[in-house]
Amino acid sequence: MEINVIIFGKLIDITGSAAITINNVADTEQLNEQLHNRYPALTGYPYLIAVEKEIIQGNTPLKNKDTVALLPPYAGG
Amino acid sequence: MQERKPKNIFIQGPIASSFIADSIQKHSSKTDIGGHSIFLGQVRADTIGEKKVSSIEYTTYEEMAIEKMYTIREDIFAKYPLTCMHVYHSLGKIAAGEICLFVFTSSAHRKAAIDACEETVERLKAELPIWGKEMFEDETYTWKENK
Repeated sequence: MEINVIIFGKLIDITGSAAITINNVADTEQLNEQLHNRYPALTGYPYLIAVEKEIIQGNTPLKNKDTVALLPPYAGG
Repeated sequence: MQERKPKNIFIQGPIASSFIADSIQKHSSKTDIGGHSIFLGQVRADTIGEKKVSSIEYTTYEEMAIEKMYTIREDIFAKYPLTCMHVYHSLGKIAAGEICLFVFTSSAHRKAAIDACEETVERLKAELPIWGKEMFEDETYTWKENK
């Protein structure tokens, strides 16, 4: 089980990378847990999660090779 | 109704006034149009603390933004009797005073164009995954957040 995580905006300052791979997670809750363990500073920042370009609400199951995006508050326009 | 496909709205660098002028000119053959509405977003030199913003560096999650913009476009066309709509957003470093957003709606009568333009601007600011790094003159930065 391999999840591609892509990171944007301010969150890149925390992870130091715009793309990382997370293994062995079954859903977005487990993914978040692993991310927070790896990057403790992430806990304090607000962000939305998109699975395959769709913003999700609540815990969502993940499939192998899914792309999950971490989206901090938008600033377009 | 004509079928609309997802269009790439992104332009690398600032939006030139000549590009905007050409875009207006292209509509002269569409004689069913009676009114255009245009919104231009310009990078503002905000003062944050003691420092002044000299530019904003825009990035996006492009595939998602283009899909989302397509949904917004479909919704706006379903709601207002528009003839056409064009949206362009800059990516990369845009200096204070330069144009970073161009929204252009046209309709037979003014009200639809004006209302559709306003609603499109509000929705894209809230819904498109775009981020802005506000760069100060001393090379430090802060992340912009839409209110």
